[in-house]
Amino acid sequence: MTEELNMGLNALWVMLAAILVLLMQGGFILLESGSTRMKNAGHVAGKTIFTLGLASLVYWAVGYGLAFGGEASDALNKFIGLGNFFFTPDIASVDNGLPNSVFFVFQLAFAAVSLSIAWGGFAERAKLSSYLIFTLIFVSVIYPVVAHWIWGGGWLAADGAQDFAGSTVVHLTGAIGALAATILLKPRIGRFNKDGSANVILGHNQVYTALSVLLLWVGWFGFNAGSTIAIGDGFFGFVAFNTQLGAAAGAVAAMLISWLVNGKADITAMLNGALAGLVAITASCAFVDPWAAVVIGLVAGVLVFFSAKFFEKIKVDDPIFALSVHGAAGIWGTLANGLFATEELSAKVGVGQAGLFQGGGWGQLWVQFESVAVCGAFAFAASFIVLWVVKKAIGFRVTEEQEIIGLDLSEHGSYGYPEQMKKAGTNA
Amino acid sequence: MGTSSRNRLLLDIASAGDPESLRVARERVMKALEPELYSLPAVTEIVTLNELHDALIARALVLAEKEVARLGYGAPPVPYAYMLYGSGGRYEQTMHSDQDSGLVYGDTASEDDGEKNRRYFLLLADKVVQYLILLGYPPCDGNVITSNPEWCLSLAGWIRKIDHWIDDPDWENVRYLLIAADGRAVYGDKELADRLRDRFYHDMLDHPSIAQRMLDNTLRHKILVGVFGQLLTERYGEDTGSLDIKYGAYIPMVNAIRLLALQAGVRETSTLRRIEALRMAHLLSEEEAEEAEEAFVLFMRLRMLASVSEANGQWSGSGKVPAARLTKEMIAPLKKALRVGVKLQKKVQKELQRGFGGR
Repeated sequence: MTEELNMGLNALWVMLAAILVLLMQGGFILLESGSTRMKNAGHVAGKTIFTLGLASLVYWAVGYGLAFGGEASDALNKFIGLGNFFFTPDIASVDNGLPNSVFFVFQLAFAAVSLSIAWGGFAERAKLSSYLIFTLIFVSVIYPVVAHWIWGGGWLAADGAQDFAGSTVVHLTGAIGALAATILLKPRIGRFNKDGSANVILGHNQVYTALSVLLLWVGWFGFNAGSTIAIGDGFFGFVAFNTQLGAAAGAVAAMLISWLVNGKADITAMLNGALAGLVAITASCAFVDPWAAVVIGLVAGVLVFFSAKFFEKIKVDDPIFALSVHGAAGIWGTLANGLFATEELSAKVGVGQAGLFQGGGWGQLWVQFESVAVCGAFAFAASFIVLWVVKKAIGFRVTEEQEIIGLDLSEHGSYGYPEQMKKAGTNA
Repeated sequence: MGTSSRNRLLLDIASAGDPESLRVARERVMKALEPELYSLPAVTEIVTLNELHDALIARALVLAEKEVARLGYGAPPVPYAYMLYGSGGRYEQTMHSDQDSGLVYGDTASEDDGEKNRRYFLLLADKVVQYLILLGYPPCDGNVITSNPEWCLSLAGWIRKIDHWIDDPDWENVRYLLIAADGRAVYGDKELADRLRDRFYHDMLDHPSIAQRMLDNTLRHKILVGVFGQLLTERYGEDTGSLDIKYGAYIPMVNAIRLLALQAGVRETSTLRRIEALRMAHLLSEEEAEEAEEAFVLFMRLRMLASVSEANGQWSGSGKVPAARLTKEMIAPLKKALRVGVKLQKKVQKELQRGFGGR
């Protein structure tokens, strides 16, 4: 009886977390459309829902099996899972374990978040067809492979890689997809001048962007605290606690650093800082003391500011700041685990060791570095190849004319903001 | 530029018999000064340029008077003074400054005469503004210009206006007071202008709260140096890497010095002369005055330089020093000057906390 009650409560919590993570797609819709121009708003928002649908089918058919299928031989399982393709879950809990239907929905929501992060590199100039093809490959192979290595009993898990809720698995993998895309697409028209200077292409609605950060922030409690997969002894509360501190420190640090460096407190930088704090604390939220969560968030907030400057300097167009927010902060968060993870919490979670500053020596930091490097390299190579083939075979970027009139019209035939865009058209 | 070429230009201007020849004279002025402005111009060049601007405007008035007389309206019925505001008022015009101007004329006893005078001077104002546009002085965006009836008034009218501004110091009126503070007569009866300024300073000293309002009105423009001492340059667009010397250095400095001068009852309108007067009055120490002067001269020279676009010698007036001009040798003194500006702004704020006229 008690066990059944426990199972029910655990299932309820993980299901709630899955719903929260799914709702983060609303955050991505507002983040991406708010940060881009009006003429692309309908496309940017709508394609998120379309690819969420497609990703769900692909993950059900293939992705989940490669990430978590238990039928591979021990040797093969180091690299990839097998089984559970076209997954049919049990209709109820088996032996009072977490129902695998709930686990699937939770994991699917993570895969979809990673995919939506990658869209940051596609924004405002990729053909709709490229979204379709990339979803197929990313959700069936690229993301599941990384997830398997770290979470599905793969070789990095065996090495003790600690990535509690996915600074690397979800965020870095998505950001690397964005990087490959933005390199192949090249910058948007008008982003850089011939003399090498940059222009700012302002998003059309800063309120959307701010609201998106709040949605993501709240959703993140499902993301991180839900990753305990159980209510158990109440540990999920501690994880949520650290998550809040990391996000808060990121927002504050980014606002202050932009103020100090640019002379004006920059809203976009601050919003990126909050997200960077969340991304960075994701790997470590179950492994570190609260003070370390604050340090991780503060560093992430400063890092994301300079990272955005860096990408602009090397003329990589990153419209939604995905490379800095999810990439740079994802790497930092993963490495920070190797610095700040405590012995007690590492033992509790039961994957790896304590970090460098907690008397654990260099071992854990090395494993963290290894996971970042290997996963980053794999995700980049795979994404680059897929998108390179797309580019050669059917073309990756819309024509100049289509880009100028906007993807709402070129890809879908109607504007997200019909009145405003018609007005703009008659003025031109 | 040598004295002889300056005198030749002044002679050209004084002998121009019609607006078209005056326009040619102005072109000659521009051509003569252009090469000096490509390099960092010295203060003497800026002084010379302002003398020449004054002479051009004065000559335009002589021609306008003649034209109005030719149209049958006779000579000016009462004495008047033609006022310059803004950079013209401060003797700090660049090659392509706007017209910021006003006109004050003598009072009459009868109302009929008053109306007649009003019509005469508005006509004169229209003429001279037209001539100056022809000469290449664009009208002021903010409509602070003699042809605007609000800026072309009898002495009594002006006094009423200044009193009104001071009694009702909303944002707009405080802006006008700030403009009026830099006003000076460029032509005509200087005594009229002095009487107007007497009233202005008298009112200001009677209303210490105005200074605080003035400060609030001018804090918007930040000096472009960051907390780490870094230059805050343009981050995007064609002007990437350039420094907005006009609004990020020159104007904040003008504002700070103006406030100190007003507070001390200093009546000079040129920023450099204000600094000097503040030094004489011991309101700036020798060291502060020297620093401030050095910083301001650098800003003024850079602003002059920024008014020339490198590519084709057009007067672009961006007010921004191009990145290419911000050489290593330039950056160190510039940073130092900007820090002096920040220090001065802080001093002004502190002085105001102690209360206007409260010493």
